[in-house]
Amino acid sequence: MNKSLFKISPGFEDIMPAEYRELVEHGPYEKGFGVSDLGTFKELIEEHPLCAGCGLALSLRMILASLPKPEDTIIVGSTGCSSIAFPQVALHNIHSLFGNQNALASGLKRALKLRFPDKIKDVVVIAGDGATADIGLDMVMQSWFRRENITTIMLDNEAYANTGGQESGMSPQGTILNMAPTGKKFPKISLPEIAREAGCAYAAAVSPAHPKRLEKAVRRAILLAREIGPTYIQVFSPCPTNYKFKPHETIARIKQREKDGTFSIKEYISPEAQEWLAQIEEVKK
Amino acid sequence: MIDQRVVTPEYLFFEAPREKRFMTGSEAVREAIKRANVDMAISYPITPQSESMHLVGDLYAEGYLREYFRGENEFAVMSAVAGASMGGVRVFTATGGPGTLRAFEAFPTWAGARLPIVCAFMTRGVNSPLSIQPDTIEMAFMLNTGIMMFHAETAQDLYDMILKAFVIAEKTDVHIPVGVFTDGFFVTHTRDTVEIAAEDIKLPPYNPYCAPVPVMDMENVPVRQMRDPFVMKSNFISYATHASWQQEIMAAAERARNYVVKYLGGLVEVENEDADILIVASGTAVSQSREAIGMARREGLDAGLIKIKCLRPFPGEEIRKLTRNATAVIVPEFNRVGWLCQEIKSVMEDTGKVIGGPRVFGGMTMPPDLILAEIRRCSR
Amino acid sequence: MFKKTFIRMSGLGGQGVVTAAHILGAAATREGLDSTVNPFFGAEKRLAPAESYVRISSERIFERGEVLDPNIIMIYHPHVITLGKCYTMPFFDGLQPEGLLIINSEKPLELGDEELARLADLKARIFYVPASQIAVEVAGTELSTNLAMLGGLLGVTDLVSMESIKESMAERFGGGKFVASGTTAALDDVLKSKFAKLSQLIEKNVEVIEKSRSSVQEYLIN
Repeated sequence: MNKSLFKISPGFEDIMPAEYRELVEHGPYEKGFGVSDLGTFKELIEEHPLCAGCGLALSLRMILASLPKPEDTIIVGSTGCSSIAFPQVALHNIHSLFGNQNALASGLKRALKLRFPDKIKDVVVIAGDGATADIGLDMVMQSWFRRENITTIMLDNEAYANTGGQESGMSPQGTILNMAPTGKKFPKISLPEIAREAGCAYAAAVSPAHPKRLEKAVRRAILLAREIGPTYIQVFSPCPTNYKFKPHETIARIKQREKDGTFSIKEYISPEAQEWLAQIEEVKK
Repeated sequence: MIDQRVVTPEYLFFEAPREKRFMTGSEAVREAIKRANVDMAISYPITPQSESMHLVGDLYAEGYLREYFRGENEFAVMSAVAGASMGGVRVFTATGGPGTLRAFEAFPTWAGARLPIVCAFMTRGVNSPLSIQPDTIEMAFMLNTGIMMFHAETAQDLYDMILKAFVIAEKTDVHIPVGVFTDGFFVTHTRDTVEIAAEDIKLPPYNPYCAPVPVMDMENVPVRQMRDPFVMKSNFISYATHASWQQEIMAAAERARNYVVKYLGGLVEVENEDADILIVASGTAVSQSREAIGMARREGLDAGLIKIKCLRPFPGEEIRKLTRNATAVIVPEFNRVGWLCQEIKSVMEDTGKVIGGPRVFGGMTMPPDLILAEIRRCSR
Repeated sequence: MFKKTFIRMSGLGGQGVVTAAHILGAAATREGLDSTVNPFFGAEKRLAPAESYVRISSERIFERGEVLDPNIIMIYHPHVITLGKCYTMPFFDGLQPEGLLIINSEKPLELGDEELARLADLKARIFYVPASQIAVEVAGTELSTNLAMLGGLLGVTDLVSMESIKESMAERFGGGKFVASGTTAALDDVLKSKFAKLSQLIEKNVEVIEKSRSSVQEYLIN
């Protein structure tokens, strides 16, 4: 998108909402901002209707701040907590249905390739763990098998939170949640490893406790999705409401899990993607 | 691929010379898509639809389409075509029977998102034990999804309706999906004479910026849609939005009536409308009725025919008027539930004269004698 | 012969009943007649019962679906009768008075007395043609059985001309304008590989048709 499209016509400044004016004047389009610039520019997300301390909201802010080309990024979401935040994001964002986000993104990405063959259009799927690993897993994996040029980001809060805290495939074994009244009977799904085997050029697990790592993963994933093939990032985003911890403990919770060895940062890069990244590093030097 | 030139829809539909060809309904789909300037098609196999999408795949291989792939299931395919349509391209797909139901969740959202997708539905049974045979029961489920519904009687209808569906669906004041339904096997696998335009002409391309909603390409302003998302039931604005949006989708279909009249020649087609006995039908039931009316005439009995071409929007006013003076209204259907009969009764003043049948389901053809028997009974 | 001719072709999957129906229907339309053709609506499986239906008329044909009241029944394989590989029981169910039966067999099949009596009541006529034998002898492949059966039909009716059949065959096998369903397309390739060139294929099959046309034998019901 050309930034001039976004400008307010002279004389109309005063009737435009304040947050729109702020976006025009201080927004991130064509700026190349990152997570370390947070607080210095108008973020793409305007407030958010999620719970206090929501790990997912924090992750989403960081992901949006890490987009390499927000002015040409289209987000595909799915039903769940994250979908409640999307309408306040100043990017074209699509609420698909529950679980079909990667199928929709496949059609969208191919359509945009047809219409803009010489232009970058990043299609980024951002959905919860239920949408990605449970109800939509077939469509997520099929998009990887087909080597669609899209990035899939899972906001992993380890539960169906929006519907009231039910067990998901990403909940740790033994967790007592709704629909798992005696504790979850099977382990957390190993989606990064599945992604690696299913044809992703890049797969990573990160968290908002390490913003620079998160940013690096998002940038790598989106750049590699343009050039090489599908990419996957899983962002650990604990849920204070359903896991019953205090809103200010979200980051501490992640660090505790790191210490326990039940969460760790992961990164898998395919040989082809490695080679491409090495070339980019070379050029930078 | 041969070079094609863009012509006006009016020329392609009404003025271009046509050639007679002996072909199946599936081949008629190919001929329509060849001339429809479609950007992308997404396929998934299901009998009796598969052949039509094989042929669309062949068109892609020849260069008539710019993108084509096989999705992983019908729900995924209907989602992917939604994504493509949101991305601003003209897109086509087809399914039928269990595939329609597998994909069902997507259809109301197509209408809600104002996507001018054209989908062909080749109907078949959905029951257990497994059936691949013709049956129109899936159309009963589709009636209130917000998508427009045409019902093709023959391969000729299928060819014409698919092409016209794109033009009607993409009108700015309509811009909702159109389902072109046809009876599986009876049309898809039956060879019949079809008149088609030359293959070197095609429809004008789709202009995504004619849409009444923004195309999702980040080439127009990404306004934040709302402070609180509509899914939050916490405020009156969200209720009002949902209510008025549903009404707007219905209104879009209402606005389409004029275009259906213009391009399809009306929502219904009538023969011998002054007859005391009228048969009202859609799809293959119309063909069987035509045969029965011919047989009745040879016996000196008179019956008229109302062929419903467009089921959504429903030709309520037309049917109310046309059936007012009839003594009997026979509604033959290829399904058990009699959804067309219910639709017709819902718009008639005197429903006592409606005969809900014959109904054939399970896959068999409808012998014209069954309809003839009703005509005889009503003539007594 | 009949104002409207409704034909039911019963055979086994892979024998080409669908292709034969297509060629016959296309030939009829070439002669200015109206025709509709459709296969039996089942899954495509080799050697399973397979049927196709052809309607030919000088008037417009509307009705579609399986032919319930055929004037002509063509039996492509004795098993249709002897093993009941048939969608109707008996195999001549619905046959119209003075209807024709054309059966692929080198010698008359043993039909039950009751069946023969019913056929006699209908004033039906039974014809045998050794279609598979002719296909193998002349074309060197049993895959030409379906065309040999069309030869049998030409031997007992004048529904369409040899010339129209030939043209329809050329279009069907050579035109690229036809569509065969997945399984049928695979068989076509087999068939094409048996003949070096299309023209040779057509020529051989014309020979098959001619031979079977003159080999039809009527079986008189006593």
